[in-house]
Formats: sequence, structure tokens, C-alpha cells
Amino acid sequence: MKITVNHQPLDVSPHRPLIESLRAAGYDVPSMCYAADRRHQPSCMVCMVKDVHTGQMIPSCSTLPREGMEIETDTEEVLGMRRQALELLLSDHRADCEAPCTIVCPRGIDVARVLLHYDRGELSAAAAVLGDTSCDGCKAPCERACRRRTVDEAVSIRSLLDEVRRDGLEVKGERLEVRAKAGAANNSNPSPLTPNLSPHPSPLTPNPKSDLFCSRLGRFTDAEKERMKQLFTQPSRCLHCACEGSGKCILRSLATNAGIRTPKYGVQSSLPVKERIEVTERLVYEPAKCIRCGLCVYNTDDGFTFERRGFDMRVVIPEESKSHVSDEVARLCPTGALFSVKS
Amino acid sequence: MSCENCKITSPDEARQSIRRRTDALIERVGRRRECIIPLLQAIQGEFNYLPADALERVYETTAIDRAQAISVATFYGQFRMMPYGRHTIRVCCGTACHVKGANIVYDAFRRELSMADDTITTSDGRYSVEKIACLGCCALAPVVQIDNRIFGHVQPGKVREVLDAFEEAEQQADEGRLTRRRQAQEPQGEIRLGMENCCQASGTAEIRQAVERACRELGINVTLKPVSCVGACGQVPLIDVATPDGHITRYPNLQPDQVKEILLHHFRPASPLRRLFSIAMNSVDNLHTDQTWDNILYLPEELRTGRLRPFLDGQPLRISTEGYGQMNPLDIDEYIHRGGFEALHRVISTNPQAVIDEVLRSGIRGRGGGGFPTGRKWQLVADADDDEKYVICNGDEGDPGAFMDRILLESYPLRVIEGLLIAAHAVGARRAILYIRAEYPQAVIRMRRALELCRQRGLVEIGSKVRSEKVEVSIFEGAGAFVCGEETALIASIEGRRGFPSLRPPYPAEKGLFGHPTLINNVETLSQIPYIIQHGAESYASVGTPRSTGTKVFALAGKVRRGGLIEVPMGTTLRQIVNQIGGGMEGDVPLKAVQTGGPSGGCIPAELCDTPVDFDALAGMGAIMGSGGLVVLSADDCMVDVARYFVRFVSGESCGKCTFCRVGVKRMLDILDRLATGQGTMDDIDHLEELARDISRASLCGLGRSAPNPVLSTLRHFRHEYEQHAQGRCPTGSCRQMVHLAVTDDCIGCTKCAQVCPADAIPFTPYQRPPIDTARCTLCGLCLEACDLNAIRYENNR
Repeated sequence: MKITVNHQPLDVSPHRPLIESLRAAGYDVPSMCYAADRRHQPSCMVCMVKDVHTGQMIPSCSTLPREGMEIETDTEEVLGMRRQALELLLSDHRADCEAPCTIVCPRGIDVARVLLHYDRGELSAAAAVLGDTSCDGCKAPCERACRRRTVDEAVSIRSLLDEVRRDGLEVKGERLEVRAKAGAANNSNPSPLTPNLSPHPSPLTPNPKSDLFCSRLGRFTDAEKERMKQLFTQPSRCLHCACEGSGKCILRSLATNAGIRTPKYGVQSSLPVKERIEVTERLVYEPAKCIRCGLCVYNTDDGFTFERRGFDMRVVIPEESKSHVSDEVARLCPTGALFSVKS
Repeated sequence: MSCENCKITSPDEARQSIRRRTDALIERVGRRRECIIPLLQAIQGEFNYLPADALERVYETTAIDRAQAISVATFYGQFRMMPYGRHTIRVCCGTACHVKGANIVYDAFRRELSMADDTITTSDGRYSVEKIACLGCCALAPVVQIDNRIFGHVQPGKVREVLDAFEEAEQQADEGRLTRRRQAQEPQGEIRLGMENCCQASGTAEIRQAVERACRELGINVTLKPVSCVGACGQVPLIDVATPDGHITRYPNLQPDQVKEILLHHFRPASPLRRLFSIAMNSVDNLHTDQTWDNILYLPEELRTGRLRPFLDGQPLRISTEGYGQMNPLDIDEYIHRGGFEALHRVISTNPQAVIDEVLRSGIRGRGGGGFPTGRKWQLVADADDDEKYVICNGDEGDPGAFMDRILLESYPLRVIEGLLIAAHAVGARRAILYIRAEYPQAVIRMRRALELCRQRGLVEIGSKVRSEKVEVSIFEGAGAFVCGEETALIASIEGRRGFPSLRPPYPAEKGLFGHPTLINNVETLSQIPYIIQHGAESYASVGTPRSTGTKVFALAGKVRRGGLIEVPMGTTLRQIVNQIGGGMEGDVPLKAVQTGGPSGGCIPAELCDTPVDFDALAGMGAIMGSGGLVVLSADDCMVDVARYFVRFVSGESCGKCTFCRVGVKRMLDILDRLATGQGTMDDIDHLEELARDISRASLCGLGRSAPNPVLSTLRHFRHEYEQHAQGRCPTGSCRQMVHLAVTDDCIGCTKCAQVCPADAIPFTPYQRPPIDTARCTLCGLCLEACDLNAIRYENNR
């Protein structure tokens, strides 16, 4: 079957969705709610292309080509509409890509990861993240940026980090290894913000990726603050703002590509912020990050399901249905809402 | 059922009882996945909500699983997981009711029943109060339904009276059930009265009781005939008295105490003694009261029905509403006598293609909103190569401000069934489904009865002589989701799924219900079909405009003197409808705009109201024909508020599937909320416009694509009002967060306002102008009504 794409003729199979044919031909068509050969329904609309004959924007993931079809994939109009779809999704996405403490750390320490290991009792791993960095002489902007501070008091990040340095390195036989790792990882990348404050300026992880889009959770309401106090009672009191699934997040990479810095419509959502549901031992679901594409709903049998409708619609997993969910469904999730935790 | 519950003491027994009763329901309804909506409806009908134990039983014994049940039960508005009070008060928030202050009425009920915030049910469990999208009684706005009783013209200050009237009616109903008996005399005549939802809202039930009582007292025997809607919903209660000589006298706006007089005037009491007695009693009555001096009987014909005349005369040709006010909706002999089912009989002995050709030539276009040529739709389904085909009558009329389909279903059920059967025969479908919205219980009851009557006459299972196939007709009750008016969502709901629309193509005509070719036509479309077959395509096409043929049924409501259901030829202008049929504007406030097509339509400004109305003309003005709701807006109405009302409606009714509708409509609402609360900026207006355009281009289904129409059309014609709001002023005072009430110098200190204020915001200061405590004031407007000097008015906060 012959169609026209961006004024160029293209031979396509009438039985394959447009997106597959376009991608095979080298056109860059993003998508979030679509996974090849899996059940899906068009929802996210970032795969939109323009049907020149009708003037309508159509989801290429669910459209089969028709003879003589004429579409556009890369005009300013199409890209603008895709950007609009992302803006709308981001305006409903109340979550942090990165933890504020990590973002502001002048020495580029991945504070969030240290605290994550700390709360899991993995002191040596926490120490490994810290490496040879030091907090000496730093005014601790991390504690000022800490989201916990908006709830009650900031996490005592500095003393926790010191504790990790002290106790973590005492774990037998690991000290040398950590040092070696830190030394090998980076010596040539001193942070520009903190030229000479530390004898070991190089961080283990690179400074927060400032070129990437970074979603922000925003402020807590009073009710949410109360909930945070009840939810986060572990020794560090850290809210663990950083997204554990950010590595595979398509929403973030598309927002970055579209050049979005701060969401145009603000951020306001009906989803419970920072709720964390353990679906299986290795699978975690955070509803606030969900874009309701439904891939997990359509691809589990009597597992995830939709609840309510409209803006309040959410994906839920009833307690009784958790056993019907397989871990691999996390790979389908286009955001950090569903992710695997390594045990 | 509550009695049975009382006897049970242990929770275990209660659970067993629920399981047993659920089993019986499952046995009756079915165990397949597509049975879920009827099954949940049956469970809710039995228990008044969906008990967890009943749902567990469903998972155990049917193909329905937990994921499906949660998904479906939480999608449709009808289902609830918590028990409600014994009586449910539903405050209609349709367009007409909204512009007449439905929100204030809702607040008034909550206040009267001393309900705490965030509760639905009163502490004694007697009443639950909820808002409902539209009851379809728009001409009597604001309307409230308590259980199955409907009350019209409910003012915020009169909610106590409504509650009292309800309690009284409940009591009487209980007593009435005990004393009813039948008379076996030859009837002396006939009294016809409409028993539609809106007539009942105006008190037809009381009139009926008054007639029955008067007949008993006077010994008069007349037939009380419930008839199809006259359409003059603003002039009800209305009765027609038909004497054996064929003379008909019409009495609109009737009061129960006038009934006896009328009966005495037209009919002779049974015995001379009774006649004498009643004359004597009446004379005594007259001595004591002055009621009879302005008695309805002494009014000349002109004055009595004068206001009704132009309303009815403005509608010369009736197709869908033929037989209005005369025909008993459920008298099949009468329908046949008037030519009913002639068209069906003709169709079953004709080549189906000839029928389709006839419909094609008539030029009729779908009345549901889109205006797609009906004949072409039929042709597509007829040509589809599949043994299994379906025809669905779409009666999921959900537009707030529209009630055409309800009245057609309640008043002319046989005509709709005839149209449906014709369509089934023409396209070769063996299964036909009547999809009727849950909010119209009366329509469902009438349709069921009508279908039974047709079955008894062998009309449903009649085999086509050409194809020798039988048609099986069933009724499916919608469960409360506006989006299910969209045909692919409607199909999803019949299949037992959430009402998610699916991407078209493929169209239902190729791949519809259960994957088979499906013809979906609107109620009104089908009700026009018998006329086309009976009178011929040419006769039909001669009515209306060249590209929009035939007549159109409209629901006329809002700030117009005479609202109601009207049927006019296509091409009539809006001004004709408002001025001639509607009798002009209520209170002579100038016309500002007419809203057509509900949440998918737009506002047509007064200066464009001389355009002949047809599908294309309306689309050209940024509105749509929609299903036919016409809400007349006056200079007192705020266009930002109207746009916000519709956007809020769609935001609540969006299915949630695609980003643009789910999030985009919500963001439009956010912006409108800012504008309507005085926090908006000029930039907001531009953002709103941009967003609206994007949503209309990139949403997946018709609901989303048309959702921005109310915003775009008001922006186009009334942009200055948006700008005023951005500057912090709402000129009409409709946006309540931008205004406060203030007492002017005209005040004489009569203290009436202080007496009615339910919030103690006005101090009792005789002979002095009282200051209004704006912190306490709820802006309910009761003081405005109470003030005889118009000395209280809205003032802008800024």
C-alpha cells in the first residue's frame, strides 16, 4: 500500500500500525502508551501525526494506513501538538525526577542515593556512593532544599552522611575497594561550582544532569504533610524524593527533547502524592507518576485496573489481585510509576 | 428488603442472606462478562447499593472478575458503593436549571436538612442529597426529584415546602393504596392529561387525584386518559376535557381546586340528588370564599388558552410528535388506527434496498448531533458482509438542557419501535437494542410495556417476507455516563466494558457490537422513519431546507416565557422560535444568546439569531445542532459562567482515556475557574483559546473534540466578557466569587431581608439600612427575592 509521508512516497503494509512503518522507514515517532505486539489503547497522544486530508491529528500507534493517505510527522504544527500533549501530561505529574538535596549539592554528591542505601541498611553501599567526598566547610544547602523541611524539620543530611562515612567504611575489607573505585571513576571532572573546597572534589556520580528535564513535586498541602509524617518514620526520615524509575522514564526524555523546562500549566493532580505500593516483592507502584496509559491494565489478567473516570481516573491494584501481576509488566510502564527493585 | 435485614442479627447470617439474594439475581441476569451492567443494576436495585459481599459472590460464580467490576462500577455514575438514605433528593443541574440557580437550591436543601460538609446522607438516614446532570424537565427549572416524584420551579426559599409536600404525598400514597376501587359505569367522557416527567413535576399527580376525588364525590364517571406530551411544558398542569360529542376544551395551568368546577360544568352528576347536593354545597362554598369570581370557567377561551395558541400554532407539521396530546402512548390500537405500523408492513414486503433508497432520497440526517446522512449509514451496514448484524437505538440523551429523546420515548414509544424495526429489516439485522439512559426510568417502563404490546400483536417477531428473518428486540439500560452517547462508547458499555470510545475507523458500520456491523441511530431519527416510508421521500424532503430536510424536535428552555418540546421544520430561525413559539423573553430582559447542542455546542449571539437553523448554518456559527437542546440566555446571564458550566460538565464526564480530554479539559476548567473568581489575567484568555483549539484537534472521540465548543464560541462572540472578568468584574453577578450583595439607599428598613436570611448575615435593624456581613453571606439570593423595593443588588468586589 502506498502512502505519502512528509511529501515522500512510502510503501507500507496495510496490516501494521502506522507507527511501525514510520519507524522502520527511519522517521522519529515517539510514543508512550504503545508497546509493539502488546495489547494497548491509544491514550498519550505523543505519537500524533497529521492526516493532511482531514486536518486531524491522529495517533499513529493505533491507525492502520489507508490507500493514498497523506501524513506529516515533523512539521512545527505536529511537534507543537506533541509538546502540548507532554505539557498536559506533565501538569498532572506531581513527582520529583531528582531529589532537591542532590540537585543543590555543590559537591555533586548523590545524596538521595546515599540516603536510600542508608534506609535499607546498606551502609557499605552508601559509603561507596559517597566515596571520598567531604562535607567539610559546606553550608549544607541540601538541608535547606530538603522537602522534609516543608513538612516538619529537614533531614539531618550532614550528620547522616558523616555517620555513613564513619560506620560504612568500617565494614571490613571494603575500604580499599571503595577508594579505588572513586579514584578510577573520575579525576578529570571537578565540579565547576566548588573549585577548591575539598581535597577530593570529584563526586562518584556526575552532577545532577542539568540538561535533562526535571519534574518537581511542588508544595504539600496540610493534609499531605500529615500523611508524610505518618508514612516516613524510618531512621533518616528521608522522603526519598528521587524517582527510582527515572532511568527508564520516556516522559522525561521526551520532555527534555521537546525543550520543556517548567510545565506551562503548573502541576496539579488528583493522585495521592508519594504513595508507594509494593505490588510484589520486586515490583513497586507509585500512582502519582502514572500517566494512565493503561499498558499495565491491558496486559495483566485481573490485575491492574482503572478506577473512576475523567481527570480523577487512576490505575489501582486491588490487594487480592496482586498475585496476578508478573514482574515483567514494569518494563511496559513508560514512566517511573511501575519499577523493579533489586532485592 | 430492609425488614428482612432487621430480623437478622448475626453478621454471618446477613452475609449469607446477601449471597443468597445475589445468587438469585445472577441466575436471572446471567454469568457472562457482558452481563455486568445489568447485573450490577440488579444488585443495586435489590440492596440500594453494591455491597462488597454481593460483589465477592459475583467474582466467585460468574465470568466477571474483580478488575472488570472495579473498572465498570466506578466508571458509571449510577453505581454506588455506600448505602444511601431512604429517600434520595436529586437536584437537577442541567443548563436551564443552572442558569436559574440550581446550585443555590442544592445548598438550600443541605442547609434545610442540616447536613454537614462532605456528607451525602442526613444523620438520621432519611435523605441523601445529590446533584444530577439533567432530569430533562428543563421548562420547569429549577427541578428537583425526590425518589420518583418530581418538583418544578423549586425556589431556594421553598425547599421546606417541597419536603413537606413530598412527605405528605408519601403518606397519601400509602393510604391511597388501601382505598382504591374501580367503578363499573359507562364513562361519560374523557379527561386527557399528560403524565410525562415534566407534567408530574408541575403537579399532574395532584390533578389526577383531584379528578378522581371529584368524580367519586359527584358520582361522575369519566375515563382518565394519560396522553402523550403536548409539549407546552411551561403551561402545565394541563388537561383536555373531551365530551362524547367530540368537543374538546383545554385547560392549561390548572389548579387542583378548579377541577371540581370544571367537571360539574362538563358532566352531569349521576343522580339528581347528588347534583342538587353539590350545587348547594358549592353555593355555601362560594359564600365563604371568593375563589369562584376568577374561576377558570368564566375566562373566555382566548384568555384561558391564549398563551398556548401561538405556541402550538407555530408548529404546523408534526412528524416525530404526531398525535401530541391526544394519543395514549401505550394504546396500540389507537396508534394503528392513526396509521401506525403501516410503514412497517410495507417494508416487510418490499425489497430492503428500495427502503434504503427511499431513506437516502428523503435526505434525512442523523438527529443525534453529527448530522451524518442516515441513508448512507444504512447502506454501509446493509452492504457489510456478515450474517450477524445489529441495530441500536441510541437513547442515551445526556446533554444537560435537552429532553427530546425522553419525551419521544415516553410519549411515542410505538413510533420509535416501528422505526427501529424498519431499520432492522432494511439493513438485515436480526438483533435490535434499545439503549435508554438510566436517568429516565419512566421511559424504560413505557418502552418495556410498548415492546410487550408489539410482541403480543406479532409485530416484533414478524418475519420479513423478503428475507424471512425475525428481529429480536431488547432493552439495555445505560448506567449514567454522558460519553456513552458516543457510539463506540455505547457499544463498549453494552459489551460490559467501561465506556471508552475507540478510534474510528473502523466505524461501527463495519465493526461494531461484538465485532459485527452495527447501525446506531438516534431516537428522533428513528421516529421520523415511519413518516418517510408512509408518505414518501419527496413529501419529507419538501419540508425543511435543501441540505437539512424534515422537521427537528427541540427542547426549548431557559429565559423564555414558554418553554417546552417543540417540533419545527428545519430552517426556522432561532428568533422565530424564541419570539413566536416561546412567547418572547421572560421578564422582557433582552435576548443575549441561544445555546444549542449542549456541552458540544455553542452560544449563538442575538444578532445571528435570524439565521435559518439547519445543520450547516449552526456549524458555520461555531455551534452544532446537537441533539436539539435550545437554552435561551438573557442579558442577565454571564457567558464566562455558561462556558465554565459546560467545561465543568465535560470534565466530569470525560472518560479519561486520552490526554487532551482528560487533562486538557481540566486545564481549561482551571483557567475558567481563575477567570470566574477574579484571579484571571489577559494571558489566561490566550492560553485558554490555544488549549481549546488543540483539544478540538487532537482528542480521540467526538466528546473531546467538541468539548471546547462552548469556550470557542463564547470567545468568538463574547470575548469582551472574558476581558471584563480578567479585569476583575462580572457584570451580571453570576460569578459568585466576584461579587457581594449590598443594600442600596432605596432601603426603607422593612427587615424582610433579615427575616429570610438563612445565614444570619443581615442584622435585624428596623427603619435602618442593614449592613450585609459578607463573610457570612452565602449569596443564596433569598433576600433579593424578599425585597419589595429591589434595594439589594450584586456589586463587584473590585
